[in-house]
Amino acid sequence: MLIRISPARRAAIERLSLPLLVVISMLLIIVGKADQIAVQSLRYSVMDAAAPALDMLSRPAAALNATADRVRRFVAVYRDNARLAEENERLLGWQQLALRLSAENAELRELSKLVSEPTTSFVTTRVIADSGGAYARSLMVNAGRDSGVTRGQAAITGEGLVGRVSDVGSRAARILLITDLNSRVPVIVETTRQRAILTGDNTARPILRYADAGAVAHIGDRLVTSGQGGVFPPGLPVGVVASVDSEGARVEPYAALSRVDYLRIVDYGLADALPGPVSIAARGIKRAEAGTGGPPLRR
Amino acid sequence: MVNLLPVATTVLAALLSIEPFHIGGSAVLTPAFTLMATYHWTIYRPDLLPALILFLVGMVQDLLSGGPPGVTAVTLLLARAIILIHRRHFVDRQFPFVWAGFTVLAGGATFFLWALHSLLAADFLDLRGPVFRGVLTIAVFPIATFLLGRSQRALLGAG
Repeated sequence: MLIRISPARRAAIERLSLPLLVVISMLLIIVGKADQIAVQSLRYSVMDAAAPALDMLSRPAAALNATADRVRRFVAVYRDNARLAEENERLLGWQQLALRLSAENAELRELSKLVSEPTTSFVTTRVIADSGGAYARSLMVNAGRDSGVTRGQAAITGEGLVGRVSDVGSRAARILLITDLNSRVPVIVETTRQRAILTGDNTARPILRYADAGAVAHIGDRLVTSGQGGVFPPGLPVGVVASVDSEGARVEPYAALSRVDYLRIVDYGLADALPGPVSIAARGIKRAEAGTGGPPLRR
Repeated sequence: MVNLLPVATTVLAALLSIEPFHIGGSAVLTPAFTLMATYHWTIYRPDLLPALILFLVGMVQDLLSGGPPGVTAVTLLLARAIILIHRRHFVDRQFPFVWAGFTVLAGGATFFLWALHSLLAADFLDLRGPVFRGVLTIAVFPIATFLLGRSQRALLGAG
């Protein structure tokens, strides 16, 4: 950049390079759309290379977020205390019930010789970047293949499902949020056991699409993952139906997706279920196999 | 060395665009900082922020944010092409005029990005998020250009 070039030559380079780069960008958009594998390795290397810088840069952001959070909580401390005392009262009742049920459950398992569920392991990671745009909902976290993260694993907070791992570099991974345009999560309504697909559309509240036409959503219906498609294990809390209109039901996720600082990536031993991104030749066949839990399924 | 200022600030703008800030509690949208830096430097020092840098910064931002690669790059390059044509009208003009120019550019970029993303998704995407982001970008521009202008005067001189 500091090389001295005559103004005339510089202008000539500029005149030529700008249209050329525009054409190259356009071609890259088309290639990226048609063949995801071609772009994937490039994406992983850029993610890995930028991870340390993003990690460092996200620390002041995290500190700022924490401070703002502290101020907010300080302001609300009196009201929160009253609410928590009441909630505590209520939860103690639930605790008694849970203890009784858990003992009963253990006894029944013993009686029926039920095969125990596979053990799960998890990695706790910090969010180092988010997509920040209006066209995608995803987060980048500071753990990757080196920490045992693989594609398709579920990302959760204490409150509920956040999304699934969509890209993995060696030390960074991308989480596709359940609100993203490409997210499809098979869920069931907890009380009625009706099956549905939670469909992201880049808004804060994804849409619920029922599998059978007769099903009706009610405000307050709780949704958990159904385990269909094999991407998510069954029973993870997802969200609650917040509004119903002619368009369909909108779901408020349990996890505060816009305020996630740390999340857990959980290995339920189901990771192999998610097919990798496909090249254009294999697409037709793979898509048919992929089912509802597969990669971006938009036409 | 100080001639790297435009490149450095543009790279910083790209990284800021993907920082996980959520002070307000629900701020999922980040203003298009990279577009602000591109506008500022292409008006005042286009020689120090060449098209190749815009291409690379746009590509890296797309790859890191998980978006379709090339979309930000082509937006920044087209913005540069448009600014270069009208550049002489903006140099040394009153700030409201410069801001008005950015408003037109940001509006155009918002619509262009929406059309491009809709085309890639083969669907008409919701326009509310993008429009909100565009308004946010236009609103934040005065602060960004003030900071860029101060650093420019301090390090590069009047240029």
